[in-house]
Amino acid sequence: MLETVRYEAEKRLLGSLALAGGLAGFAAMMTLLAPGVLGEVDVAALAEQLPPSFVEAFDLELMGSIEGFLAIELYEFLWLVGLGAYIAYSAAGTLAGDIETGRIDTLLAAPISRERVLTETYLGLLLPILLANVAVFATVFAGTRFVGDPIAAVDLLVVHALSVPYFCCCAAFGMLASVSAPGRVVAEGVAAGGVVGAFLLQTVSEAAGFSWLGAVAPMRYYDPTGVLTASEYDLAGAGILLGATLVLLAGSALWFREVDVS
Amino acid sequence: MATIRTDNLTKYYGDVRGVEDLSFSVEAGEVFGFLGPNGAGKTTAIRTLLGFQSPTSGSATVLGADVTDAAALRDARARVGYLPSEPAFDDRMTGRRLLSYHGALRGDVRSDELLDMFHPPLDRPVGDYSRGNRQMLAIVLAFMHDPDLLIMDEPTSGLDPLKQETFLEFVRTEREQGTTFFFSSHVLSEVRKVCDRVGIIRDGRLVEVASVDSLLHRSGKHVRLTLGDSVDGNAFDLPGVHDVTVGGGARREPSDRGDDVTTVSFTYTGAYEPLLRRVLEHDLRDLSIEEAPLEDVFMRFYDEAAEEAAPQQSVDGDAADGEAEDA
Repeated sequence: MLETVRYEAEKRLLGSLALAGGLAGFAAMMTLLAPGVLGEVDVAALAEQLPPSFVEAFDLELMGSIEGFLAIELYEFLWLVGLGAYIAYSAAGTLAGDIETGRIDTLLAAPISRERVLTETYLGLLLPILLANVAVFATVFAGTRFVGDPIAAVDLLVVHALSVPYFCCCAAFGMLASVSAPGRVVAEGVAAGGVVGAFLLQTVSEAAGFSWLGAVAPMRYYDPTGVLTASEYDLAGAGILLGATLVLLAGSALWFREVDVS
Repeated sequence: MATIRTDNLTKYYGDVRGVEDLSFSVEAGEVFGFLGPNGAGKTTAIRTLLGFQSPTSGSATVLGADVTDAAALRDARARVGYLPSEPAFDDRMTGRRLLSYHGALRGDVRSDELLDMFHPPLDRPVGDYSRGNRQMLAIVLAFMHDPDLLIMDEPTSGLDPLKQETFLEFVRTEREQGTTFFFSSHVLSEVRKVCDRVGIIRDGRLVEVASVDSLLHRSGKHVRLTLGDSVDGNAFDLPGVHDVTVGGGARREPSDRGDDVTTVSFTYTGAYEPLLRRVLEHDLRDLSIEEAPLEDVFMRFYDEAAEEAAPQQSVDGDAADGEAEDA
């Protein structure tokens, strides 16, 4: 049972540790920089000089607190878009890569169903998601306390807890790309590009007044800035993301079951 | 019940023909060689049998499981070992880890014994393996759960001659234990050594299914005569004589009467007696009758130009056992 999850997770261990370390390093830098930036830069005055649409798009008016600063400098971009795209990219590379190299042949020749191969491969992606969460949470938690501007522990915990359904959804999207795209590179491009594209769609559609268009973007249902600056926990959004994850995974499994592996 | 049976099995990739109308069966306990030049469709057939891809039309069963029934085939695969032609593994994993992973998936009852014969460096990452080591690891993975049926795609490719011999010997031993083998190859010597029957595939179609013995029999003997009298090609126009070549005098040592000799060689598929009677009408100096190399038989099937010659060959040869070709 779950041999493939174990194997996949083991395969990802080094990469996941490096990823978590890198993200933690960036989080530490931002946390340590925050007091200096907040003390020296008058964000409100800066915001007045910039076009209102720009200020709104990047939530600059919230930058005045350490929560807002970290939300924008860390969570809104590197975390939400960067890690989201990376997770989707990694997921897309899994089966597509194994099919392309022929590595999957030995596995598919075993008495294991394709659905199971897909599900267990997918579950292996939880490792980077969880490690990144633990590392960044611990860094921000400790870092804000170190600089003497502690961030609310519950908000921080929630921002990380709610990121799990979000990343799961990105990974599920990547899996769908992995089994449906013709080749690994295409799958990876579609997956990473899809996440970045969804983010742009969500941002632009809101600015342009077509916010319904952004409903397909997973970022719509996970708002780290809202959690950190206003303690708004979008639990329904998390539910939608989990639902979407299941739908995407079921779709991937159906596709993978029928597709020719050659 | 046949271990593998295909009925008009056809696989197209879009408009490109992989295999077409394959019908054959592999009986329990036999070693069936699947032969053909590169690109003939051997791998396509194997991948379809394993359920990696679904047939465009026709059907096939493996150990009684329909290849289009994913659940049945999954259960059947517990008793199937598969040796791919270019085994690929995660480069960073060690052989030992792959062994434990695949052992957990399909059960490991004999990897220790197998590792005595085939010994890849288990503690090194597979990325450092040579082609031969990779193949040996794949062999261990294919046999570790002691399957009833082995499906192998060019199994000896990448092995050095010594290991090839070990492997073929191993196949023979396994066959004696009742294991069934279906393997593709274009190495005729190994086919000759281990196969009971062969199917020959060309351009996606099965052109022949026959026992190795019958193929050899049908391919006839290479007859080579050295005659003291001069003859022309018509001197041996017996039924069953093919491809007569009459050579000029071979230079022999002085003691050999010094006069002209003629060499005649041909392929002969008939009985000995009429041949020998005809030969004795001549001044016979030397005679050799050898089994024709299996290569000649296959070349006939592979070679487009020889296509017309094949039917006339099979008339005077014995009827093949097994199914007739439907090409």
